[in-house]
Amino acid sequence: MAQCNITIKMGEGAVNTAPQIISSQGIGSCVVVTIYDPRRKIGGMAHIMLPGSNSVNGRGSPYHYADTAIVTLLGKLYSRGALLQDIVAKMIGGAQMFICSNGSGPGIGKQNVSSIRQILQREQIPLSGEEVGGSYGRNVEFYLDSGKVIIKTAGKKEDVEL
Amino acid sequence: MSKNTQLFTEEQLDFIREMMNIGAGNAATALQQLLQCPVDLIIPQVHVLPAAQVASILDNPASLVACVRMGMVGDIDGAMFFIVPEESKGKLLSIAEKAQPGLSKLAGQKPEDETSAVVETGNILGGVYLTAIHDFCGLNIYHTVPVLAIDMIQPLLDEALIKTSLQIQTTILIENEFVIEEHHIRTLLLIIPSSESVKPMIDALGQAKKAYGSV
Repeated sequence: MAQCNITIKMGEGAVNTAPQIISSQGIGSCVVVTIYDPRRKIGGMAHIMLPGSNSVNGRGSPYHYADTAIVTLLGKLYSRGALLQDIVAKMIGGAQMFICSNGSGPGIGKQNVSSIRQILQREQIPLSGEEVGGSYGRNVEFYLDSGKVIIKTAGKKEDVEL
Repeated sequence: MSKNTQLFTEEQLDFIREMMNIGAGNAATALQQLLQCPVDLIIPQVHVLPAAQVASILDNPASLVACVRMGMVGDIDGAMFFIVPEESKGKLLSIAEKAQPGLSKLAGQKPEDETSAVVETGNILGGVYLTAIHDFCGLNIYHTVPVLAIDMIQPLLDEALIKTSLQIQTTILIENEFVIEEHHIRTLLLIIPSSESVKPMIDALGQAKKAYGSV
């Protein structure tokens, strides 16, 4: 059977099972979170834009914000049979693309990363890998047969595997 | 029609487009001076659209571009991005190098840094568009020191777009195509006024329309 892959855009999320691949392109200050149940080979990905739904009056899709995105993703994973005791998360992104000299607090990338870290802790989901920060964009592929995450960047840097 | 463009009347949108066409004309003249060769201008596409829609009109979020970011300060504040796709960047650099040897490697830059010509072009084009806005609307807007980054287009823009995309927010996207020595060079200029700046912009457009009559 032909493999059916899913590509999600900024502010979107998806949940599926092996052997599918979920991918997302062009991650800058956004953060992609993958949540995976290795025993049941069920996984989900969200391309998160902002740290919290109270930051801009909570408008838009739940996948826009770290807090609502992770809760939504978990709900979908559980309804497909994933179990809290088995799931692990990874996060990718949170870059600051332009290095500006005028320090006006942490960029949105950093805020996203720290917010997601807190939410995962609160939900008791172990973070099994991360590739965050820096000043470069990333493309992510999430392999649901293995839980492997491959990160590609635009420059000459080699692919990173989580 | 989206909520965003309803902020402006059809007449005001025409006015913005006209203003940006003048900007493009000025841009061609400025490029001609910089590159010291004839520059033809293909009529630009001007889009006035909500920030949330900018990402969706980019063909490929992962396409490689050179991007110059400039802050806007003055009567309107916000940010501007001058974007050159990878294939146009190479052409632009080779023309610039012929016109002004050394432009692509300005003193003080690292030898491997061949991108000063892109920064300089962004600097000049950003400036001439702001001048066009000033000439039409009397708004004084200055841009801050340009900062260059080369990467995929969506990551370069996402922070600026995210901050504003969930509010009703107007952006102006100008797609330019310049013909220089038979090379077609495509550039994008994205103007993102802060949410506080939209009202002064509408007011200034109203004033300008009175002064110029109907466009």
